[in-house]
Amino acid sequence: MAKTTYLEAIRQGLAEEMASDDRVYAIGEDIGLYGGAFKVTEGLLNRFGAERVIDTPVSETAIIGAAIGSAYLGMRPVAELQFIDFVACCFNILTNFAAKSRYRWGAGVPLVVRGPCGGGVSGGPFHSANPEAHFLHTPGLKIVEPSTAYDAKGLIKAAIRDDDPVLFLEHKLLYRRVQDEVPEEDYVVPLGQAVVRRPGDDVTIVTFGAMTHTALDAANQLAERDVAIEVIDLRTLSPLDYETILQSVAKTNKVIVLHEAQRTGGIGAEIAAAIAERGFEHLDAPPVRLASLDTPVPYSPALEAAFRPSVEQIVAAVEHLVEY
Amino acid sequence: MQKLKPARFLDPALDRTSIAPNETLSHDQLITWYRTMRLARACDKKLGALYRQGKIVGAVYLATGQEAICTGVVSLLERNDYFSTVARGLAGWFLRGVEPRHVIARWLGRDVPPSHGRELGLFFADIEHYGIAPYHNGSMASWIPSGAGFALAFKIRKQPRVYVAFTGDGATSPGDFYEGLNFAAIHKLALVVIVENNCFAYSTSTDKQMPVENVADRAPAFNIPSEVAFGNDIFEVRRVAKRAIDHARAGNGPYLVEFKTFRASGHGEHDDMGYVDADLREFWEQRDPLRLFAEYLDGPGGLGETAVKAIDDECTQVIEDAVVWAEAQPEASPDTVGDRLFAP
Repeated sequence: MAKTTYLEAIRQGLAEEMASDDRVYAIGEDIGLYGGAFKVTEGLLNRFGAERVIDTPVSETAIIGAAIGSAYLGMRPVAELQFIDFVACCFNILTNFAAKSRYRWGAGVPLVVRGPCGGGVSGGPFHSANPEAHFLHTPGLKIVEPSTAYDAKGLIKAAIRDDDPVLFLEHKLLYRRVQDEVPEEDYVVPLGQAVVRRPGDDVTIVTFGAMTHTALDAANQLAERDVAIEVIDLRTLSPLDYETILQSVAKTNKVIVLHEAQRTGGIGAEIAAAIAERGFEHLDAPPVRLASLDTPVPYSPALEAAFRPSVEQIVAAVEHLVEY
Repeated sequence: MQKLKPARFLDPALDRTSIAPNETLSHDQLITWYRTMRLARACDKKLGALYRQGKIVGAVYLATGQEAICTGVVSLLERNDYFSTVARGLAGWFLRGVEPRHVIARWLGRDVPPSHGRELGLFFADIEHYGIAPYHNGSMASWIPSGAGFALAFKIRKQPRVYVAFTGDGATSPGDFYEGLNFAAIHKLALVVIVENNCFAYSTSTDKQMPVENVADRAPAFNIPSEVAFGNDIFEVRRVAKRAIDHARAGNGPYLVEFKTFRASGHGEHDDMGYVDADLREFWEQRDPLRLFAEYLDGPGGLGETAVKAIDDECTQVIEDAVVWAEAQPEASPDTVGDRLFAP
């Protein structure tokens, strides 16, 4: 099998769904002729035409609103936000309208909102967000963030086929840096299922997205010292796969929750609380949270490196837990 | 407190105190529309009473004084056209077949579809059975981008259908109004925006909401046609709305109609309207849409006073019966509170 990048895998998944289901269409800023700011939708306009690859004005609420309206009529819109930071512009229509709609009226909204998230590329305060915590607190919305090309394709296809709104976070650091063997035949990665990326008996690291790779780097270093890390990649952030998390904690008895978004009120707080509530008797040490600082994402490489969790921080946290 | 000045009550060119159609209409049509409006008025009166009796908890929002607009517009729609409105367009729901007993039961929080106790009676959506689309709360204009999405689906599917978004003067201030209309205009979508300018957004008069005289004055920014008309004359509503609907259906893009009207009750029944000048109320009371329609039917419309009175009495009775039915419906079981977040 050929190696495929994370970005190409998303494009393949989207194109396959568009080819097999004429209800699926793409909408967003600069996604047609230009192929998207990161080129995720490159080539789709030529293949599917302007009625299914729709360029819009700079209007995030119009993009998501129009996607919602068409979804009510059975279309399967895939809306791109050029940077996921701009989801703040359409927060209202996404949370108050799309996410509540089934509960209010039984009217489902099969919508995918996708866009590049995350830092590590000197994107600065407006192009680096990890917004999952805002939406974790929004009942009725699902959240997905793949860490591999295989999952990126399988999850985008599952998200498009899902009958409810899905926020699909693509970590921009991974777009061209991560590649896998990706099957050409149709497959999906089901929503709601975490995966154990690396098995180990000593400490569990629960993470997702780009931090999965940071955790694996730390685990490799620690393996040289005979510390066996189990790395869980959540893949879906809402609903969370607590079964996989708790099974691992029952085995290792020590856990780090690692994410790139800011620490306070982050998804790590929710996961740590759930582990304390539901797995307390398995814990030999308090759960540890590793996350970014409680500041906006800084621009300069030196500041951003100080802002984001590092391999060194993970190693230090593991040492702390091992000695606890 | 600054009051609206009499000169701003209504442009004299739009004003009238009697109405007449300029199309041939059957008695059946006239009766259907009058009955729909009367039913909405009777329902509103009862909803206000139920609120004051403490039977409707939370709040209740009425449509009193605006019945002609939704009735006239919805009377022009095909069955597979869609529209969205809050309960200010109650008569529009009724004209599509929504039953008063269900509306009242929803206000009472009873276990009836489609919300099963999860949503106020203010909001209603049932695309499958009534072609009535979900209506947002939050930004009071989000159904304009969403309506553009319905119209986008019509365009992709090459269906000659129309989506009508009812909205108010207040909802033309949020950015959603501009984003939605801008997008719809660029893509020439079959979106008709009906603005019911009822003089107030809650307590804020239109002169404090916008620097233009009319909402329609904002339409040139989208390069779409717009009109201003008198919204309490159902015949005028049909005349003007027909142009808008025909324009959109023919593939020419969105159309904005602003109907001047008056919210004869408070923003909700908790609102005593102390900010509304007595002259303004009196002015619009003389132009109440049901009064104008009834006077036409009594006189030149040829129905006669007895027939009109019979409709009024029948509507009152329908609402009385609806309340009995609604009050007998069970509340949703607390066991179901977590249900229906996602597809089964």
